[in-house]
Amino acid sequence: MNSVTSDLLMITGFKNIVSNAQFQLTLVSIFILFVFKLLTGNSDSLPAKLLGDFLLLITVLFLALTIISYIKKKQASPIALVMNVGVIIALIFLIITFGDSILSLFYNNAAEMVNAGGLISSLISVAYVIFIAGLLVYLIIVLRHLYFLRQGENLHLFFNTMIAMFVLASVTDHFIANGELAFISDTFFIVSIILISYNSIKISWIAFIIKREKIYLLILSIVITGLFMVNLISGSGENNYTQMIKSLSPAMSTFSTITMIYGAVYFSILFFTTLFHIPTAEAFDRKAQEVSSLQYFSKLITRVLDFNELSETVTDITLKVGRADASWIIWKKNDEFTSIASKGAGYVDTEIINSHLFEKTKWESFNSPKFFNIEKIPDQDKLSSRFKMIATSPLKTHGILKGILVSARKSGSNFNEEDKSAIATFSDYASVALENSRLLEESIEKERLEKELDVAREIQRKILPLKNPEYDGLEISSVFIPAFEVGGDYYDFFPISKSKLGLIIADVSGKGISAAFIMAEVKGIFESLSKTIEKPRDILIKANEILRNTLDNKTFVSAAYGLIDLDKDLLYLSRAGHCPVLHIRNETAEKIKPTGIGLGICDTEYFEETLEETIISLEENDTIVLYTDGITEAKDSQLNDFGERYFTEILLENRQKNAEDIANKVIREVSLFSKDHSQYDDITLLILKWKPRQSTGNGRERKKTTINGEKEWQNSKPQL
Amino acid sequence: MAEFKTSIVNKGEVSIISVKGYLDAHTAPALENNFTELINKERFKIVINFEELAYISSAGLGVFMAYIEKIRDNKGDIKLASMSDKVFNIFDLLGFPLLYEIYKSEDEAIGKFSESKS
Repeated sequence: MNSVTSDLLMITGFKNIVSNAQFQLTLVSIFILFVFKLLTGNSDSLPAKLLGDFLLLITVLFLALTIISYIKKKQASPIALVMNVGVIIALIFLIITFGDSILSLFYNNAAEMVNAGGLISSLISVAYVIFIAGLLVYLIIVLRHLYFLRQGENLHLFFNTMIAMFVLASVTDHFIANGELAFISDTFFIVSIILISYNSIKISWIAFIIKREKIYLLILSIVITGLFMVNLISGSGENNYTQMIKSLSPAMSTFSTITMIYGAVYFSILFFTTLFHIPTAEAFDRKAQEVSSLQYFSKLITRVLDFNELSETVTDITLKVGRADASWIIWKKNDEFTSIASKGAGYVDTEIINSHLFEKTKWESFNSPKFFNIEKIPDQDKLSSRFKMIATSPLKTHGILKGILVSARKSGSNFNEEDKSAIATFSDYASVALENSRLLEESIEKERLEKELDVAREIQRKILPLKNPEYDGLEISSVFIPAFEVGGDYYDFFPISKSKLGLIIADVSGKGISAAFIMAEVKGIFESLSKTIEKPRDILIKANEILRNTLDNKTFVSAAYGLIDLDKDLLYLSRAGHCPVLHIRNETAEKIKPTGIGLGICDTEYFEETLEETIISLEENDTIVLYTDGITEAKDSQLNDFGERYFTEILLENRQKNAEDIANKVIREVSLFSKDHSQYDDITLLILKWKPRQSTGNGRERKKTTINGEKEWQNSKPQL
Repeated sequence: MAEFKTSIVNKGEVSIISVKGYLDAHTAPALENNFTELINKERFKIVINFEELAYISSAGLGVFMAYIEKIRDNKGDIKLASMSDKVFNIFDLLGFPLLYEIYKSEDEAIGKFSESKS
């Protein structure tokens, strides 16, 4: 880093020295010229003149280099360059006009001073010539800048040749103009004139300046042309200007003349070119504005991704592009039309105009740009400002009309075809931009939802038991398959003793993160209740009481709670709005569906009144199946349900297998069935299978059911 | 896929909302709007016609729970009618028959309103 910086410093330092060197060399050559002038005086000898011209040429060269290096640093506008030319040509004009009278204070005329010789005379004449040379060089350089402005092709050759011809014509003019070789000088001169004409025709930068500048330029160019011509004419007469220059370098006098011709030609052509551009200036300004607006807009669409901000920008630019007094967007959302991002018109105004637009024209008809004259609409009096003309342009994506871009004018000319196409072009851009921002917002929202679902799945994963409890005489298998949108399934085991196991299966209504949070709450409730209460019915009543207070009025939880007593081979079961429990014994499958309303739906009193508890006695190889509707409502491509019947059939077919295999078989069948349809809901399947007990070998002999005679149980009516 | 439509018809004091298609978490707001609309107009006697309902999810069921209290407080009711077996089964599992009156036909449900009036 440091070395790079120091390198850069060295480069700039070097450049400074170079430019200083140019300047110093200029000074040195001026000094030599001065000494030369002092020594030779007014010698008319050819070598002296030749040497004088040579020295001047070198001085001018250094001068040119110094001026170029100075000018390059500035990026001037064409008008500023023209102004520069104007100032210099005016200065030369002043010198020519007033030079004589100033000189006459000291000498009778310029010729006398030039001929006087001596230190002062030499000093003055060298200074004079160098000053004029500087002005001419500067003039040429500025003209060169103007010449290269907005030039598409590389025209260096033409310009450089032209300058070379200037120099050659100037130099040869003096030395061989009178001899037989005069044609050489004439040729150079003629070529110079041809190149001047050729080079002056190509003025392409005019097109790119605005109308006001063009008018300004028109005045400037006529004045400057005039000055060039005056200077040209007086430059050929006898005055201080010609005498002073000729005395030191006749070549420069010719050079000055040619430069004046170039200036006069260039600026007169500039004048006419500008004149011809004036009528189209407005249209050009218009296009330029459109282009810059579109450029600005296309830059913006990559940065502004907020839909509202973007619509504000769209209407803003529409004002400019369509030269409108007001602009707004009619956006269609859920079959309703709203005005957004209104500029230059109040909400009430836009609503009145919108309703007028839709009164006679169908939404679909706005698919192409349209004009409306609203001068005579009945509600015109209600408008806070009188709008005369409306232009609409469609905002559509993938061919579907999403909104309408409206521009309105109060007065002035009506919208014309130009405006129509300008607004239409812009609305095409705007459609794409608005669609992009909308898509982005959607994808951000989608990403947010996906993140949320990740969290929800994580919660669910942590809430569900890691492994199934192990009990002697009982095979337990559990399968849980989450849906993409967490479905709110929950199951859990609560081991109470060596022979007692509480278990729950539940499904929270709704999906996603809210369902996951409720699951967490449900887990907390059952976890704690199961520690103090054994009876499923009592647990569900308590759970309903708690959830009734915490859940909002459209959320509920369906649950089935069971208590397995392995000593008695009994399953106590209560069901609160959940899927029935299946009891498989031999070749029969029994649907166990005691009455019960889902948790959180109704008050404790009514819940308790309607909630039943059923007792199932179990034998060896009996299977109890608990599940959520994710299984029975799994769908195939035709949207048919997997269904309870098919589910039961599979259970019966595989009843000989162990719990694990039965569960796997069911899941395989479900996934096979719904392979062409995405899994919409969580799937939970619990399979409990009674096996011979190891420790109390005769445990299974008590096959007869003994119902525990607690009083409230007797009231319940098992629906078997 | 999830296409869902509702329509409201008034027959005297009773308003009938007919539901069609799939009623789930995504489509439930449409039905919720219908309920709010009727409640705002103080039409509390509502019959839901399920004849063309293909599917109802738990979130769909929640809609009926959300408004029942307010409607019953205003001496109105939501009565359910013309359910397919499949839809009834879903309502039944959750214990809705204990909470709502469910009738075979729309007319029967409307009739019950006038009965209770007289």
